[in-house]
Order: sequence, then structure tokens, then C-alpha cells
Amino acid sequence: MVTIVMRTYERPVLLARAIASVQNQSFSDWELIIVNNGGDPSGVEAVVSVARTTTGTSKITVLHLPERVGMEEASNQGLRATSSEYFAIHDDDDSWRPTFLETAVRTFTEHHDAAAVLSGVTRVHETFKGGKVWPVMHENFPLDDSRLTYERLIGGNTFPPIAALFRRSVLDAVGYFDSSLPVLGDWEFNLRAVREGGLVFFPERLANYHTRTPESDRAAGNSITVGEDLHLRVKKELQARWDSEMEPNGKTKGAFSRQVEVEVDAAETRLQAEIAEAQRAQSQRSTVRRIAGAVRDPKRAIRAAVHQVRVLVKRR
Amino acid sequence: MSAAEVLDAHPNVTVLTVDFFDTMVTRTVAQPTHVFAVVEEELISQQGARWKGVAVERVHAEHRARVAAAETDALRDIAIEEIAQQLTATLKLTPAERDLFVHSEKATEIALAKAVPAGASIIAEAQSRGLRVLIVSDNYMSSSHLVNMAHAAGYSWVTADDVLVSCEHGGFKHNGVLWKVALGVAGVPASQILHIGDDHEADHVQPSKLGIATHIDTRMRRSHRDMHNTSPDVLPLSRIEATQRDAMYDSNWDVAHALGDGLVGMVVAAQIADVKNVLRQRDLAGIHFAARDGWLAHQVWNKLRDSDSSLPEASYTAFSRSVIWRASLTELTPANVGRFIGDDEVLTIARLERRVGCSLSSLYRPDESIDAQSSRAVLLENDREVVAAAQQLRRRVLGYFEKQGLLKPGHHIVVDLGWTGSTIADMADLITAATNGAATIEARLTGMYWDATPNRMRVSMHGYAMTEFESLDNNLRLLGVIKLLEALVTAPHGSVIDFADAAQDFQPIFVETQPELAAYAQLIGRVGQSAITSARALLQGTHPSGVKASDITGTALWAAIMQVGHTPRPEEVEALRIVRHVTSIDHEGEGTPLVTAAPASPKSFRQEQLPGLYDGLIHGHWMQGSLRSWSYADDTRWIADEIGNIWPSTKVQWVPAPLA
Repeated sequence: MVTIVMRTYERPVLLARAIASVQNQSFSDWELIIVNNGGDPSGVEAVVSVARTTTGTSKITVLHLPERVGMEEASNQGLRATSSEYFAIHDDDDSWRPTFLETAVRTFTEHHDAAAVLSGVTRVHETFKGGKVWPVMHENFPLDDSRLTYERLIGGNTFPPIAALFRRSVLDAVGYFDSSLPVLGDWEFNLRAVREGGLVFFPERLANYHTRTPESDRAAGNSITVGEDLHLRVKKELQARWDSEMEPNGKTKGAFSRQVEVEVDAAETRLQAEIAEAQRAQSQRSTVRRIAGAVRDPKRAIRAAVHQVRVLVKRR
Repeated sequence: MSAAEVLDAHPNVTVLTVDFFDTMVTRTVAQPTHVFAVVEEELISQQGARWKGVAVERVHAEHRARVAAAETDALRDIAIEEIAQQLTATLKLTPAERDLFVHSEKATEIALAKAVPAGASIIAEAQSRGLRVLIVSDNYMSSSHLVNMAHAAGYSWVTADDVLVSCEHGGFKHNGVLWKVALGVAGVPASQILHIGDDHEADHVQPSKLGIATHIDTRMRRSHRDMHNTSPDVLPLSRIEATQRDAMYDSNWDVAHALGDGLVGMVVAAQIADVKNVLRQRDLAGIHFAARDGWLAHQVWNKLRDSDSSLPEASYTAFSRSVIWRASLTELTPANVGRFIGDDEVLTIARLERRVGCSLSSLYRPDESIDAQSSRAVLLENDREVVAAAQQLRRRVLGYFEKQGLLKPGHHIVVDLGWTGSTIADMADLITAATNGAATIEARLTGMYWDATPNRMRVSMHGYAMTEFESLDNNLRLLGVIKLLEALVTAPHGSVIDFADAAQDFQPIFVETQPELAAYAQLIGRVGQSAITSARALLQGTHPSGVKASDITGTALWAAIMQVGHTPRPEEVEALRIVRHVTSIDHEGEGTPLVTAAPASPKSFRQEQLPGLYDGLIHGHWMQGSLRSWSYADDTRWIADEIGNIWPSTKVQWVPAPLA
């Protein structure tokens, strides 16, 4: 069985979508623990009562926390309520494609020692305004085997929780999420988990990581997009905490983390430059194609040029 | 034209040359690139998801191989090894994986090969007359492979000496090079050669230049669609359409039958398979097929019940967006009055009264034309009467729902095409309120897109072929085909606009519109009849294509919707031009055409008008049908192209290349 812990706070529209993403799974042996993190219970209950009409009451449990606690404490409370073989943290704004659990559980059967299996991720930029949500853009979230090693993860988190299905025994081996962390608890946990069996990646993009665009209602924002400063501060605090822990390579964990962070940032900068260069080259190839097209079909080329000129004139 | 007649028309011929694919040999799928889908399906079943997406990559690899070859020699054809080389580079295949793919493709081609009836009979007739038969083919496969395929299709006489293939002779038929080779091998004057084939340029224009007589037969191409889109998901419809191609071989192509037997039959079969699946999972107080999108499914359900007593009775329940909304109305305000009247509508008091179901006081004459703003003002001045009429309608609606069993305590499912589910959500609110929560509703929809998200708070919904969790592009594509699907699955009656009172048993009152009646009589009725037969056969496992209900997964149904809705054939677009979509709240008027015309003056059309044009297309018409029709004409093609450039989801390729 898979336990899915879903933390939520005052986002009933997104919660309803997230529950549906679980209910749509082709793998049916799951239980959903919704942790209402101090929000209005009636809103959550209204959504859950609709969802329960199709899956019955036994598959969906709601924990109403009396007051808001940290995200990781909310996860821990959900996890302590269950004892399944696998677990996933499914945030209330994210979603899975229908075969996520089926594929992840099957992957576990081929990788008995893995701490977690992860799918490819699509990042969905969406706008949420006035109770309606609509996607603006989809892009491939950069994730592959190379980003799932301890040596890479130590520099910064590389995947959102929605991508992962964990083996529950990892909790027994490395402990629960660090509830003292207001953010980045998933990163800190992943670093402990990766040393307890490794992370196995399958490239099919079956997880949707939803982030809200700046024009969205603020209450619907992601913890990352809304609280970038907090993430940076907590990261520094964690690295400082790790300065007292020694790594096998002779460095402190904190120093190693900072070193990899710098290397990753530099690599990302190089990658961005390469992408920009590739786009420039693509643009040049496109120009060549346009010229070739103009030779083949001059009338169409003239029409297109006239349109472009009109657009430019109008812009001025 | 019989085989004998073809040959009798050329009495001096001593050599018959024959095109290979779709003249002599075809496959049991609808088009050539679907062979790669079968390969992908086989490789995934053997080796797992590593091979997912290889079919569409195979199409791209061939294109890249041709481009690379043309850089050094524009005349020559490529070989399968060059395609495999491109595929290897993109997918980072090991040598063993590359060999496995090539072997699988060859084995699949042989497994799917079958003789083309006309080609086979002309060849047999020619051989009986003592003519020499030579195969002349533009292809990347070797002559030995074509020999194996020919043997598999029943042409046991074929040897490598009988086959001339472009990849082995430095040139194509369609650039004329291979024809010069063929003349040499035939060893007779061109005037003694008859060629049969299916391609105008390669099989007629080029050989004719050399004096070779030709006979062109394109019937096996009638099942082709766009070649870019191929994945295992396309195969159920592909197999159905290949069966249609064979069944209609000796007759004209029947678009209505093809649509009904194929896409619509699959939609209906999926609606019922989904209901059966829910029945296995939970107790249901009622199953309700929505009028009108569930009419075909309800017909099939009742036919299935004749032979399967385990299937419970299901209702055919009439409701519409406007009726449910009016029945839910508790106050009329400037914010909601707009739902009675479209922004650009010009109405009369008489027509307004029909919309709201009560008499209206106003200074306008009953038949005087009034604009939308004035019409809304009239309704707001009569708000008490309008709300009272809505409350009366609510009582009639609930009386009807009770008669249909929808107020029975327990869990009900409503089967509909779907999209946002807002009407079913409104309906669920009415029922929940009337039963104090004792009756709950679940919507089982063919598809739903992102606007459905807020409605999930009000009603449980499931989209069979599509949900908002799919990609942005697919959500947009769904929007572009909604009008088509609604038109194809509809019932022989109009939309419900009211219900009779208790004395008349709350009978639904349907409004019939001339455009809908005409389309139904000419086309849609026959689509429906074929769909009923097809869906029943699919569900019972007796469809002549061999496709079964278990093959019609959500992704296969989505692929079928895309194959027809996103890459329609010209004859489908042409046939569906007669369909108009009547969208006004009272269903009066002429409605809007499914396939809309291009801007009247394409030469003076401005690029900055494109967003408005696109918006109108995607929300008001069958987008791809319209774009396709524009692309057929020289003066409007550029508009379709520009829309494709600006909104790539409208381009014909809808199967992504995930591994690239």
C-alpha cells in the first residue's frame, strides 16, 4: 500500500484538484491522509465529502491540526498516522499523471534497495485568480540520474516532493522530517534518504509541479516563489549547522554543501549561456530557412514582410 | 475496372511493372507510420518504457536521414541503416538496441503485410497472359526484405530479380532515375510496359515522360492521415480504419460510416466501458445518460441489456446548461443577467419572454428589435417575475429528476461528454439541496479541461480521455475539437428548454432547430447508426477490426479524438461543413458553422487580427477542421500557417517526441 500525505492550508480549489489526481491513479492500493494545517475545517471537509462520494470514506482520512505548524511537522503527523510500505508527499497544489503510482511501485520492484523512486517532472506555470486556475506554460523540469546523487543534492535540492515515492523503511532508518525547519525540510530529508539506498529515476514525466505566476492571488503562491528570501536564509542556517559534521572526503558537510552549491551555480550559468547560444544559432538557421522560403514562395514572403512592418508601425 | 479490362486497354504490353506499397502489398494498419507504433508496442512489452516514444522518433529519424543524404546526393534514396543511424544518435541506442529495432521493424512489416486485392488480381491476370512482372518501389528497405514481405502477402513467385528498389539503384521513381533503371532491366521498349501504382508523380508523371503507360489506383490511401503522429495509442482507431479501407474497397468512401464506426463508436464504447468499471467498484443508486451527448450510449446500453441481465436499468435524462442555470436562479442582478443574453445578440420581447418563461412589462413592441444592453435592462426591470418563473421551473426540473430516479438516496453517475462539468455541478447542487445530501452525483465525462478545476469542489468528476492534469497543449487541443465531438454524438432531438408541469408528467420540452435537423438528416443520423453498431461490437468483442473494449483506454480514445479531430481528412472536413452549432440560450437562430470560413479578404487581413481570429476559432468552431479547410486554398493557407507558427499546439503534430 502507498500512503499519500497531502498538506493543505486554505486552498480548497487546488485541494480538490490534488485529491482528484490521487483518485485518478491507475494504481488503486493507496490511502490519502490530508493534513489540514490549521485552516478552516469546513472548507476542507466540503471538498473531501465530494471526493468521498467516489472512493468511500476509508481511503481518505483528514487530520485537522488545531493551529498551523511547519510543513514538515504536518508531514510527520500524517506519516505517523499510517504504516504502509511506501509513502509520498503530495502537496495540495501539485498533481500526478494517472500512471505515476503504478510506474513508481513497479520501479521499486526492480530496485529493491532504493530509498525512493522519482519520475520525470513537468513544471506547470499557472495563474490562480478569483477561484479559477489555468495553466500558462509547461516546461520540462531538469531532472535526471546525475541530479539525484548525494554529491549533487548536497549543493541544493534538485526535485520537488511530487516527483518522489519513498520506501517507508527509510523513515525507520533516518528518521522523520525535521520539523524545526520552516522550509527546505524536504531537501534535508532527501540528503539523509539518499544515503540509505539511493534514488532511482525513471524519465517518463508523470509528476506535475505547479507554480503560480506573479499575477496570481498571493494566498495561492508556492512556498518557493513567495518566500525566496526565507529559502536562502534557511539554507545558510542548515549549512552552518552542518559545519560541525565531517564528510568522508575530509570536509565538513557545510563546506561541502557550499562548494557544490558554487559549482552547481557555475554549471547552471554555463548551461544557460549554452542554451542562449543554441537559441541564437536556431534563430540564424531560422533566418536562412526564411530566405530559402522566400526564394521558393516570394509572394508569401512579401506578404509576411508587409505584416511584420505593419505590426512594427502599430507598436510605435 | 476489372483486371482484365485494365490489361485489355493495353494490348501491346509485355511487361507489367508494379508499385509495391499500397498497390501490391498493404498493412493491417491504416497508414505506413503506424507500423512503427506496432514496433513500439512490441518493444515496450518486451523491454519496458525505454522504448516509449520510439515510433514518432522513427519518423523524425527518417526525415533527418533524408536531409543528410540530400546534402551529398539529392537524387539517391536512403537505406534503413541510415535511418537506424539517426535513431541511434538521438536515442543513444547501443549497437544491440539498434539491431533489435531494425529487426523488429522488418519483422513487423512482414507480420502486417497483406495483398491489395486489385493489385493481386491485375498481377495474376498479367501472369496468366504471359506478361513479365517487375516490382518498382521507392523504399529504404532492401529488395530481399520486399521479397519476404511479398511472400508473406501471398506472392510466392517473387524473387530478388523481380524487385527494383530505390535504395539499391541510386535514384527514385519520383525523380525519374529508377524508371531509367527499370527500362533497362525490362529490356523492352517503353511502349510495351504498363505500370500500376498509387502515386501521381512517381507512378504516373515520371513513367509517362518515358512513354510508359500507367494505371493509378489510390484506394488504399484513403485511410491515411497525417504521417507525423504515431504511437501505440493510435492503433485501435488505426485498425478500425484499416478495416474500413478494406470493407469500402469496391465502393465510394462513406464518411458518415467511417466516423461512426471509428471515432464515435469508440467514444460510445468508452462511455459504457467506464460505467461498467464504476459498477464494479461501488454501489450505484442510478446511472443516467445525459441528453443529448449520452443518447448513443443509452441506445447501446439498452441493447446490451437485452443479452446481459446483470446490467441495471439506466435513464436517459434531459438537462441543459440554460435550463439548469435558470432553475438555480434565486435573484437577478446586473452581474448574472448577462447569461440570458449574449453581448452581440439582438432580440425581441417575445423571444426574451420565451427565454425567461414569463411575461415581461416593457415599452417595446413584442416584435421590436432591441440590443443586448436594452434587453438586459428589461429583464432587470422584471426581476421578480423572472425569478418567480425560475422557481417554477426549478419545481418542474426537480419533478422530472424525481421521475428519472435522480433524487433516490445514494450515489448516482451522470454520463456526458463533459468539458468543464459546470452544468452537472449546477445539477448536483440542485439535487443535493433537494435531498438534503441523500443523493450524490458523480460526473463521468469523456473529457474535461482546466476550467473544470473549481467545479471539482462541487461535484466529483472523472475525465476518461483527458483531464486538466494533461499538458497545456492537449487542453488547448481539446478545446479545439469540443464542438466537433458534440455534433457527432448528438441525439435525433433538439436541446431541452423547459419541462411540462406535473399534469403532463414533467415531460422535457425539446426545441428543434432547422440547421440541426438538416445536419442530422444528411449526415449525423448515419454517423450515429454506425456508432451504435460499432460500439456494441467493440464491447462484445465482435468488431471486424478485432479491436476490443479493453483496447479503448483513455489514451487510445484521446489518440482517436486527435486523429480525427486534429488531423481530419479533406473529405471529413468537407462533409462536416453542413453542421452548425446552435449556441443561444433558447436554441433559436441559425447558429455558427462547425467549419468556419477564412477571413473574407485574406490579402488585406492583418497579422494583429490573428489573436482574435484564433480565439474565435478555438471557442466557437471546430478549430482544426477550419484551419485544414483554409490550408487547402492558396490565398488562405498563409493564415493557417501563421496560426500554427504563433500557437504551435495547432500544428498537425500532436504526438510529442518525448525522447528527443
